[in-house]
Amino acid sequence: MIQPASAARHDLKPGWRLPLPSRPFVRFLARRLAALILLGVGITFVAFVLTELLPGDPAAANLGQRAIADPAAVQAFREHYGLDKPLPVQYVVYLQHLVQGDLGQSEQSHRSVRADLSEYVPATAELAVTSILIAYALGITLGMISAVRRNKLTDQVLRVVSLGGISMPTFWLALVALYVFFFKLGWVPGSGRLDPGILAPPHVTGLFTVDALLSGQFDVMTNAFQHLILPACVLAAYNVGLLTRFTRSAVLEVINNDYVQAARAKGLPERTVIMRHVLRAALPPIITVGGLAFANVMTGTVLVESIFAWPGIGQYAFHSATTLDLPAIMGVSLFVAVVYIVVNFTVDILYGIVDPRIRVA
Amino acid sequence: MVAARRPGSTFMASAVLAAFVVLTACGGGSTTPTNHVLVIDKSFDMKTADPQREFEVSGGIVAKALYSTLLTFKGSDSATPVPLVASSYTASSDAKTFTFKLRTDIKFSDGTPLTSADVAFSFNRLINIKGNPSFLLSGITVSAPDASTVVLTSSTPNPAIPFIIPNPALGIVNSKVVKAHGGTDQPGADKSDTAEAFLNTTSEGSGPYTLKSFSTTTEVDLTANPSYFGSQPFYNTVVIRNIQAPTQLIDIQKGTNEVAIDLSSDQAASLSGNTSLQVKASPGPNVFFLLANDNPKISKTTPNQHFQNAIRYSLDYASYVQLAGAGAIQTPGVVPSMFLGALTPADNAKFDLTKAKAELAASGISNPTVNLGFPSDFTLNGISFSTLAQKVQANLQAAGITVNLTGSPISTALADYRAGTEQLGLWLWGPDYPDPNDYLVFLPGQLVGLRAGWAAGSDPSLEALGVQASSSTNNTARGQLFQQIQRQLNTDGPFFPLIQPGQVVVATKGVTGADYNPTWTIDPAGVGG
Repeated sequence: MIQPASAARHDLKPGWRLPLPSRPFVRFLARRLAALILLGVGITFVAFVLTELLPGDPAAANLGQRAIADPAAVQAFREHYGLDKPLPVQYVVYLQHLVQGDLGQSEQSHRSVRADLSEYVPATAELAVTSILIAYALGITLGMISAVRRNKLTDQVLRVVSLGGISMPTFWLALVALYVFFFKLGWVPGSGRLDPGILAPPHVTGLFTVDALLSGQFDVMTNAFQHLILPACVLAAYNVGLLTRFTRSAVLEVINNDYVQAARAKGLPERTVIMRHVLRAALPPIITVGGLAFANVMTGTVLVESIFAWPGIGQYAFHSATTLDLPAIMGVSLFVAVVYIVVNFTVDILYGIVDPRIRVA
Repeated sequence: MVAARRPGSTFMASAVLAAFVVLTACGGGSTTPTNHVLVIDKSFDMKTADPQREFEVSGGIVAKALYSTLLTFKGSDSATPVPLVASSYTASSDAKTFTFKLRTDIKFSDGTPLTSADVAFSFNRLINIKGNPSFLLSGITVSAPDASTVVLTSSTPNPAIPFIIPNPALGIVNSKVVKAHGGTDQPGADKSDTAEAFLNTTSEGSGPYTLKSFSTTTEVDLTANPSYFGSQPFYNTVVIRNIQAPTQLIDIQKGTNEVAIDLSSDQAASLSGNTSLQVKASPGPNVFFLLANDNPKISKTTPNQHFQNAIRYSLDYASYVQLAGAGAIQTPGVVPSMFLGALTPADNAKFDLTKAKAELAASGISNPTVNLGFPSDFTLNGISFSTLAQKVQANLQAAGITVNLTGSPISTALADYRAGTEQLGLWLWGPDYPDPNDYLVFLPGQLVGLRAGWAAGSDPSLEALGVQASSSTNNTARGQLFQQIQRQLNTDGPFFPLIQPGQVVVATKGVTGADYNPTWTIDPAGVGG
């Protein structure tokens, strides 16, 4: 028998109701979407203006030493990429194409920016998601242990380790990790998303592990996962340190509150007290930091991608910037904006889930 | 009903994840390629696999493997063009007409016979696309009087044509198939040719390999072409991977690749004593040079001949060679040591601080201060231009010249350099083709000459020598003329050649034929095991 919605709601425990859509929620969603559009337009405008202000010339950056001296080649380049038109016209044309989902053609790859992003974003996403899962699992766990064992040896060690995770330069850590775990120990494969000669699985999501699984290529999936481990761990190091310190701090703020003491007085096991009463109350600031950490990982992986030959959005952004590849710069800028807006939106939703007091509805 | 989370689920999740990571890692290790897979590590500057559009180092390696050219070079040689698709060629006495007779037994990878129409299509397509390599056939018209003859006619004498033809950008495509996929060789091809996307997925050539997969960021996979007219390559599969130099250094020692191309001299030096590797470091074809602007509107100081002489004597050339590391040499002129017309070490400029100070005093300029432009973010052959610029600053300071370093990212520094607005500039010239004609750009009124503010008519005798050298059909005479030009450049010109950095190729032991060639870097088909 199908229960009416109201009856189903009564079955939920008071503290764990789902944030079902309501008019305020819809308004909240609409506001966020409107912000996304406005921010997107704003970013394209700023990127256009800034690129124009730069003293460099996209033709000079992309054409060779001979071609740049050939007026016909320069003219052909400018016409092909629309650079022969005034900047306001270029901008309007760009927006017209953007509305139709056309992000233009990259001057570097000679492909549509959309095709480039559809290749690079999944590569980075696969790395970032794996990395952030490792960071969440280790960071929150270690932070809780550190808080529970405050000022004891375990806490001191974890604080030093977490400080190390935050302080170590990522590129240095990446090279050391590659040298130790690949070169010396041979526990993991080296650079790239797959071993040389292994072809990528048929494109469905762009996530090699998922696509290989979907196509039944389990050896490719295993290989892709093995390649994922080391760069994901290196990328996670900073966030493990960050989350450990934030979790420790957040847990310490609530661990001696009256309701926690009451829970202990009721005779609840310490583990239950920590997991149910302490961690949940400490989660909002951890979610905020975790959300930003994820956004940072999605948009700031260039060094790790470079060392591990990972063809992600970081390398694409770097090459686009150094060659003044305007369509690609615009595409990456939009992508970064969308990531931050979506992450903030998700964080807001998660707030509502973990803390009913700040739920929108 | 939504259940509350079970206590300890975070611990469980992390434990499961950690176990998964550890187990998979312990079972890890890379899949070892078979004996016939050649893995080449290269830091990509790849843009396209379309031969008529590529003019990058990575693209040249790919195009060389996929497409045949009329002429070629053997191994690392770039002094003697030899027939490949052409069975022979002749040049007219005025060096304006070159006639190529084609072999008749060559087929594309799909079995279609290669004819002169394919050559004409490929060359005209290159010209009319107006892309990076189009200048190679600038001023040249292509005709195909019969199915096995191609005639190139130049509007001016051009003895460099046989040295230009082996460039992979002049690889011959299957014209029928390329036309069917949007290719055109007609005027307006820069707008109407749409075959690039097709050629990035399928190769339409007659080279030793065919394209299996192509990515501008990850790797390019090639497989042997069973229809190839020459000897089948030793490696039936080639994987060219996009790997940065620090990672190449680790990979080559681990044995996951056979050839590493981008290692610096310092990195190569760290491999000395590794018996499982062979390290080849030889002078590369890039020439690093300093320029002093001859245009008085840019600087009142730098056009002064005595001031330029002061710069010439104040540079401690040996220290630049030492900085560049293994394989590097001081370059006595702008033409690199392996090309026709190169000067010998006897012509090397000499460091002499006393003379430098005397020349500065003779210039009449007291306490000169000049700006030095350079690409601050650019490193080639392991040599950072920022480091070189600091060395120049220190050298000139010792002679009494104050240098302000005004480096900027290459995308912006190039604009100043190409506009000829730098007072002093620190740059390089890489060969477009292995012939001294490519270095006539350093003369007054030419491409690089103008970047140094050296206008046409500034040195009539030198310009006359340039005209004579560019049209001579006798290679011995050409070589002597180019030597004469460079000696005059070294005394009268605003250029100060510094070094040819070492070009390092590292290969695993047992690999043969991994030779550096300035035209295509590495020929995968030439590599054996």
